[in-house]
Amino acid sequence: MNRSISWIKAVALAAVLAMVLSGCGAASGGKTSGAAQASAGGGQAGKAEGGNLTFGLATSPDTLDPHRSGLAVAVRAIRTIYDNLVVQLPDGSIKPWLAKEWSVSKDGKSYTFKLREDVKFHDGTPFNAEAVKYNLDRVIDPATKAANSLALIRPYSSSEVIDEYTIKVNLDAPSQAFLGNLSQALLGIVSPTAAKKYGDQLGKNPVGTGSYTFVKWDENADIVVAKNKDYNWGPETVENKGAPYIDTITFKIVPEEATRIGSVQSKQVLAAESVPPQNIAALKSDPNQQLLQANTVGLPYTLFFNLRRAPWDNVKVRQAVQSAVDVESIVKTLYLGNYERAWSALSPGILGYDKALEGSITPDINHANQLLDEQGWVKGADGIRVKDGKKLSLRYVDGSPNREKRNDIAAIIQQQLKPLGIAVDIVITKDIASVIYQNWDYDLYGNSQVNSDPNALYAFYHTSAEGERPTLSGLSDPKIDQLLEQGAVETDSAKRVDIYSQIQKYLIEQAVILPIYVFPYTVAASKNVEGIQFDSLGYPLFNDVRIQP
Amino acid sequence: MIQLVFSRLAASLLVIFGASVLVYCIMYLLPGDPVLLMLDPSSATPEMIANLRAQLGLDQPFYIQFANYFGDMLRGDFGQSMVNSDPVLPKIVEHFPATLALTALSSLIAVTIGITLGVLSAIHRNGVIDVVARLVGLFGISMPTFWTGILLILLFSVQLGWFPAMGSDGFSSLILPAATLGLVGAGFIVRMVRNSMLEVINEPFIVALRAKGLSERTIMYGHALRNALIPAVTVIGMLIGDLLAGTVVVETVFSRQGIGRIIADALMAKDLPVVQGVVFFTSIIYVVLNLLVDISYAYIDPRVRRAVRT
Repeated sequence: MNRSISWIKAVALAAVLAMVLSGCGAASGGKTSGAAQASAGGGQAGKAEGGNLTFGLATSPDTLDPHRSGLAVAVRAIRTIYDNLVVQLPDGSIKPWLAKEWSVSKDGKSYTFKLREDVKFHDGTPFNAEAVKYNLDRVIDPATKAANSLALIRPYSSSEVIDEYTIKVNLDAPSQAFLGNLSQALLGIVSPTAAKKYGDQLGKNPVGTGSYTFVKWDENADIVVAKNKDYNWGPETVENKGAPYIDTITFKIVPEEATRIGSVQSKQVLAAESVPPQNIAALKSDPNQQLLQANTVGLPYTLFFNLRRAPWDNVKVRQAVQSAVDVESIVKTLYLGNYERAWSALSPGILGYDKALEGSITPDINHANQLLDEQGWVKGADGIRVKDGKKLSLRYVDGSPNREKRNDIAAIIQQQLKPLGIAVDIVITKDIASVIYQNWDYDLYGNSQVNSDPNALYAFYHTSAEGERPTLSGLSDPKIDQLLEQGAVETDSAKRVDIYSQIQKYLIEQAVILPIYVFPYTVAASKNVEGIQFDSLGYPLFNDVRIQP
Repeated sequence: MIQLVFSRLAASLLVIFGASVLVYCIMYLLPGDPVLLMLDPSSATPEMIANLRAQLGLDQPFYIQFANYFGDMLRGDFGQSMVNSDPVLPKIVEHFPATLALTALSSLIAVTIGITLGVLSAIHRNGVIDVVARLVGLFGISMPTFWTGILLILLFSVQLGWFPAMGSDGFSSLILPAATLGLVGAGFIVRMVRNSMLEVINEPFIVALRAKGLSERTIMYGHALRNALIPAVTVIGMLIGDLLAGTVVVETVFSRQGIGRIIADALMAKDLPVVQGVVFFTSIIYVVLNLLVDISYAYIDPRVRRAVRT
């Protein structure tokens, strides 16, 4: 039966094709990651050197150009390639890094930095005052299309090269946040030679002074960095100031969380970030795994009322929602006790965080009902409140996909507000750019921000200038504006703490926001991986990493 | 035969054109402005937005935009990604082998398991093998692909450590994703083959063959199977198309590189040129597959050839 033979032939051909093609795919896809397992070089315990750390990332970085990146996930890789002028310790103090020392002028508007003289970029370009000037100017140049770095560098105006290793940086206005912001990875120092050469493709060909050099980036697959053998200027946040112990780090992009955790458990990768809450207990009890956790600092995940739209411009109506939403049970239910609940516009651990707000709001549905009754919102036949023929509805917008179960928060709040007589209309969209920032078509929208200074509140609550993008809450209160302006420049830290505590109290009392949770950055790693550290914002550092054989 | 190929080919070109019009319209009508997605809404000035829009030709009327796009496609210019300015065609060409390998191996798994189980279960009706086959059929059809994928990872990577849980490095990383898709395909094929085999077994010509004194083995595998395969081939052809679509889910679950992953990301980012490029490209593959199915149909069943000739 030669027909059946040709069937077998076809099947065999398909098999061969599959094998050949998968071989090709691997060859063009990348060789370094082939083994995936670390091959730690010899040495005694505690002294292991060499090896490849495979690290699973939850999403794909947007770019490795720090000045243009807008994603936290990109910072995990950016941190390894670039250094900053200064470093911030977990206690908030600022220490030298690429800058040896600095002085601030009396009016607080100019900083003079003395730079290290022994630093070179990966491409051989010398690091000096010219390079720093180039970097700072690059961030404010519109042609760079800077993203989040632009907000961090403000109120920078210009810099002057005093001598080869001294630079004077001028600000438009004094700022207490400026120095701390210089420690953030998004203001990392890039090689001027590379930036000029690659232009907007620098993100694919990153060159810095960091402890790791860029090797390659295969889209949707992995980013590889290798140890910078000449490195000798590590910051105080790490013990090892010299070249890293391991040879390479391979950041693998693994969006599906079950797969990401599965690949740590199967030892295909040695570490992976963003452990889902339901896996945390299992990992803690696994003798071969360790769980590392660092709470991120800045603005916790917060829901912002859009104060520009009725009836949410009415404080009583907002307070009714504040009293009806049971944040405690939301956070417990969704994160199984692994995330902390947020109480304030700031997260714990940041200067000025007001601990007194903890426990200040308790769910009280009767109070909520009473507030709405007083405002003339009466329950209709369908249980939804009505006033002047208009139903009480709340348009809750969230981005897709369900990052950190944020869609689920929306669903629970919808259920919790139903008995109160509020119809919550949930809109899940990827198109946040036009729905939120262009059309302002929302009543409630959540956001969070990693930041090292309470001045982060400015961008969220200060009245926006004419023609500028309005804030998420649309809050406009001269009293708060004044406090935010004072907070930005106040040099006495006790006074600063007081200013920010007033602001935080106001935001809760006026129910401008509903703070929900503080995001812990979690990493699951094999037991034989030692020395993953975190910086003051909760980003991982790899200078001290050793892989025990 | 040649006539059949040509008439099918002409229809195929129409299908490709239709698909590209459809995709273009859908992407055009979807809410959201790609230019605003490309620029940071907080810092972009109206002037920057207008410039970029003009640069991309998005300020032109719909039909001119479409004509430009389609003309460029025909010249092999699939445009650039709006997200990172990578040219689209080289990106597809680079990632296509990985997807093709996945589709090929999963088709192989689906066809092998599907036909074997389908035939055996029909011959040994109500036996143990029939129960197994029906379970496989039910499982393949009803389980969501990503769920099957995660179950396989838990069993074969985490528990047993036989295969990598993710990545696209070599043959071993291909096995779990291909098995995931293959099981889905096998489910469909088992049911199809079993049913058509049962029908054929009860036809008069089988009785005639038995009367002629042929061995049961020759009757089943020589005559019945060949007749039962005719409808199965159609299903298998369509199924390979489905498997190609299934790579979108599987490539994401297993973090594989491939065009399924590219289109998933591009849809999320509303990266029009990439979505259009991938759809144009895959519509060509679908059409070629269908053509192959039609031809092999004629090859297996002489009646089809005769029908075309007259």
